[in-house]
Amino acid sequence: MALEHQPLLLSSSPHVFTNVNVRRIMLHVIVALLPTTVYGVYLFGPSAARVVLTSVVSCVVFEAVFRALIKARQSFGDLSAVVTGLLLALVLPPSTPSWMVAIGALAAIVVAKEFFGGLGHNPFNPALIGRAILLMSFPAALTSWHRPPGLDAAGGAALTDALSTATPLAVIRQGGALTDVAAGLGVDSLQDLYGALFLGNRAGCIGETSILLILAGGVFLIATKTIVFVTPAAMLAATALFSALLGMDPLFGVLSGGVAFGAFFMATDYATSPLTTAGKALFGLGAAIVLVLIRKFGGYPEGVTYGILMMNAVVPYLNKLRERKYGYVKKGAKK
Amino acid sequence: MSVKTFRGGAHPPGKKEAAKNAPVEYFPSPKQVVIHLNQHTGAPNQPLVKVGDAVTRGQKIASSEGKLMIPHHASICGVVKKIEPRPQSNLLDGVAIVIDADGRTETAYMPALDPFSCTREQAIERIKEAGIVGMGGAGFPTWMKLSPPPAKPISIVIANGAECEPYLTIDYRTMLESAGALVCGMAASLQVLGVKQGVFAVEDNKADVVPVLEKAIAEFLAGAGSGKGFDIGVRLLKTKYPQGGEKMLIEALTGRQVPSGGLPMDVGAVVQNLGTLKAISEAFLEGKPLIDRGFTVTGGACKTPKNLCVPIGTVVSELIPDVIDVRADLARVLYGGPMMGTSVPTLDTPVQKNTSGVVFLTSKEARFFEEGSCIRCGRCMRYCNCHLSPALMNEALLVEDYAEAGAIGLLDCIECGTCSYVCPARVRLVQRFRVGKVKLRAIMAAEQARAKARAEAQAAASPTAKEAR
Repeated sequence: MALEHQPLLLSSSPHVFTNVNVRRIMLHVIVALLPTTVYGVYLFGPSAARVVLTSVVSCVVFEAVFRALIKARQSFGDLSAVVTGLLLALVLPPSTPSWMVAIGALAAIVVAKEFFGGLGHNPFNPALIGRAILLMSFPAALTSWHRPPGLDAAGGAALTDALSTATPLAVIRQGGALTDVAAGLGVDSLQDLYGALFLGNRAGCIGETSILLILAGGVFLIATKTIVFVTPAAMLAATALFSALLGMDPLFGVLSGGVAFGAFFMATDYATSPLTTAGKALFGLGAAIVLVLIRKFGGYPEGVTYGILMMNAVVPYLNKLRERKYGYVKKGAKK
Repeated sequence: MSVKTFRGGAHPPGKKEAAKNAPVEYFPSPKQVVIHLNQHTGAPNQPLVKVGDAVTRGQKIASSEGKLMIPHHASICGVVKKIEPRPQSNLLDGVAIVIDADGRTETAYMPALDPFSCTREQAIERIKEAGIVGMGGAGFPTWMKLSPPPAKPISIVIANGAECEPYLTIDYRTMLESAGALVCGMAASLQVLGVKQGVFAVEDNKADVVPVLEKAIAEFLAGAGSGKGFDIGVRLLKTKYPQGGEKMLIEALTGRQVPSGGLPMDVGAVVQNLGTLKAISEAFLEGKPLIDRGFTVTGGACKTPKNLCVPIGTVVSELIPDVIDVRADLARVLYGGPMMGTSVPTLDTPVQKNTSGVVFLTSKEARFFEEGSCIRCGRCMRYCNCHLSPALMNEALLVEDYAEAGAIGLLDCIECGTCSYVCPARVRLVQRFRVGKVKLRAIMAAEQARAKARAEAQAAASPTAKEAR
């Protein structure tokens, strides 16, 4: 009994833990967003890089300053502010002025997230709140688009206002047909149009254009068990279905706008989406209904932002759709 | 062989390599044993001896009159030195009988009894008198398990060889080394219950025990168990925590779910720990009560990982450093496995009937994380093998909404630890549920008492009730 050791620590079981922590999860999301971010910068040029950097830095700084002001523990280490900044940048047009991006970041981090208690406590998706506030405050800036330089006849010309164009959805909104969209992208057939949209060589927000790279990121998140497939699958399938029901081209509906980006990266946001599987499916379904209705009848060409934000509000109710517990007969009638 | 399992669960690293190849080592002669009166589910026992009495190994030294009564026995020959509260692995630090060894090597066992020719009542009495409890954790009296009410017919006895807790290897070694005794204990259980089907359930990381068990079964069925119609087999289960949880085991093997608030017998199943089966076998063949038990000593701070068998009540500090050697950077000691075991404040804690392992962890191994706030990732909900909603229960408990937590399933939680293990924010889910359960039960009891008082007051006030009286 000559044993010498430190005083023994006491703890409640379990005494071992997985090495998956919050920071690793956020890193997964950042890695999943990288392909579409890099492609956005490649497609839209230095202006897109400026928006991304401004957004990420502003989000991190605003969070640090706010938490310092309220004397809360600094939380940079969990990387959630970086994720929010990245998400916000990727749903903004590449020409958004830097000061506007900063206002969006302020709205996202301080108003939408920290005011509610920080990570995990915010009812609404911070990046989408940032985008929504900018969209309401500066509708012109948020709906003016650049032609990707590669599409321009001059080829590789500097990004200037003179090269402004419309997104595929905006073309439709203005009464155009799919053939007009195809003409705008420089392709002849409907098939080529789908192909071009899938690869993402079109005008739009920085991160939303390439369905291929968004899918790659989404598959990575599903493979690393960071997200489950239910929400994006439900949202994309429902978008196609309701587009068809309202007489719109279902495939075009899924490939255009921000629905793919929203389905994989916004509707799967932990704090603002349901925890239960049935809830997740209904969340995707509801967001799809709202976004298709906005596309068809609303004042904006695109409705993903509001579709998801509206469903954020019903998450507490969707969380009541819990699965049957172990040891309960159907309907849970017996004790 | 098809591999069965349940839905949910996690994969904590097994860490079984350290002790898995070490044969069970017998350590028969501690200088002192500390035998607690409350090592089982039910009312605590009263001592049958007093300070100064000489006791013999196998002698009954504590018992009670209660319904869940289970006696305890002296595990060594010696003299009762003290009867006082002592440190205990469940941290209740209950009263224990402390016996100092006097060097005698006699035993006071019961006479042997053939489980296949005695009556059912004799067999149950034997298992009760031998002080046998479930040796996997809760310490439920085995004789109760083996005497279900007539309304609950049993159709299957499951020997729990899953051993899903990381680090622990005693069940694995017992299957390799004492397969014959396990099969005999299984057959005795089947005989008592009047059941034919018995299954040894083993996780597939221990598939090498299958031929050993099958050989022992074949030998038994050809010898002592021939002509009785026993159908004893081995089934492989997926290696997944908590495969060895009673409810998960039953779901994996039978597809049935134990009803909420119910017992395995409600779905016709009896689950037995392997140590318990061995003890049953010894109680019949040798008349030996449950006074020894095997357990694993292991962990990163243990220099000598091995499987030990000691008299119950042996204090672990006595085994150090001759039998167990421990590194200086020892930071945490667990009785049981790392998922459900308790961490104890002192090595003067004795091995009890339900101690399956003593795990010595370094501070690096048992890192202590600060609790973060829930990020609502939903991992706990996906992994929960009871299909509860830990994140939502946690939310309800944080605002002390016990009714809501109960509705979500607080009382159905088996505290297996899976949700806490997978939580990336290190939210102390299980700990909060454990506390929450106590509070919710107290609230429910208070409500019941109020309702009863109201009903009585009403009955007293009504004239018909008075007349009837």
